[in-house]
Amino acid sequence: MSGRYSAFTFCDRITSYVPARRASARFAIPAGLPAFASCLVAEATGQLAAWVSMAHIGFRGRPVAALAGETRYTHDVAPGDLLELDVDIEHCDDETVAYSGRATVAGRTVLELADCVGPMLPQDEYDSPDDLAREFDRLRGDGEMPGRFPGVPPHVIDTTEQVTGKIRRATLQVPTAAPFFTDHFPRRPVFPATLLLDAALSVARKFVHDDPALPVEARWRPQRVTNVKMRDFILPGQTVELTAEPLSPTAVGPRASVVARVGERTVATARAEFTAEA
Amino acid sequence: MEFTKEEIDTVYPKVAETIADALGCEVDDVKLNASLIEDLDAESIDFLDLVFRLERAFKIKIPRGKIVEEARGDLSEAEFEQKGIVTDAGLTRLRSFLSEVSPDKIKAPLKAAEIPRLFTPETFCKVVLRAQKAAPAAA
Repeated sequence: MSGRYSAFTFCDRITSYVPARRASARFAIPAGLPAFASCLVAEATGQLAAWVSMAHIGFRGRPVAALAGETRYTHDVAPGDLLELDVDIEHCDDETVAYSGRATVAGRTVLELADCVGPMLPQDEYDSPDDLAREFDRLRGDGEMPGRFPGVPPHVIDTTEQVTGKIRRATLQVPTAAPFFTDHFPRRPVFPATLLLDAALSVARKFVHDDPALPVEARWRPQRVTNVKMRDFILPGQTVELTAEPLSPTAVGPRASVVARVGERTVATARAEFTAEA
Repeated sequence: MEFTKEEIDTVYPKVAETIADALGCEVDDVKLNASLIEDLDAESIDFLDLVFRLERAFKIKIPRGKIVEEARGDLSEAEFEQKGIVTDAGLTRLRSFLSEVSPDKIKAPLKAAEIPRLFTPETFCKVVLRAQKAAPAAA
């Protein structure tokens, strides 16, 4: 149940497709999962844009997550939900793909992505172009059997420093082996940027929850993440230091910067805005 | 001179703000002739980010990854560089194209891959101005 095109692939069927322009797809979140993080909804949307961009250049290259200008998390999703995904390709060639996208459940928008850009890297180094072309045809035809995704293991995060209202630092231990590496990517395993962001947001969320300047009764959840920038790959087995620090708040809640480092190298940055859960 | 100081000044404040947003630094740290890589710690991903931000900020289209290609001008690749090193003709062309960069920084031996190290905020002001000029023709 954790093989190719199931371990970390979030598309059951592509339901409409205009080459190099737009596409829609469906993904049924398996009902048996304990949860389905919103970051995986972003992953699903990004993967649909990746299919369109790879198909446009004959699967010679593949985009990797690099820049996400704005991600709006409007509603949580739950196991058993049917995700409807739509992407609009703003620009696509052998160098880069730029796109926006959204995900809905039963007609309600659960996530929106805007101003996303990914550089295209040589496909041969990451995956089999022929296999991907065949899978793309399958997804545009009858599609894959829903319910294949086995879930992801919980993050291993240890808090290393906490100064209330000023900083929270933690380490994320990337597993040396995990089912998601089967898909991401077969020839060169890389820790998915969306999982890194999920871990970073959990650190930032704890940081804002601990801030005594904020209403203690509020349960803060990320509502908008901006300026996501991935600077380097994170490899199996690496230890990532995650840091959350305060930024000036928005009208609806606190805001934090998150930084991910491997050793001295900054590998990712983002800004997260929180809102009180209803 | 391809563009006057007055022309550069028309776009510089917004370019500086865009660079500060892309690099996560203060706008006051963005000096017109600072090296984006050496002085502001920019990396290749930042240039990609910057190009897309400038497109949105100025509602222009900037040819993707073509800044170095534009720098080559009418020279063929072989005339511009040999085995990754910029030729004398290429250096002359670069000194003209990157007139905002001190000529003593554009000297042999210069690896073609290191041309982006020369880029400054003014380089991107000119990129914007060129795109604005090209827009009516492209429309």
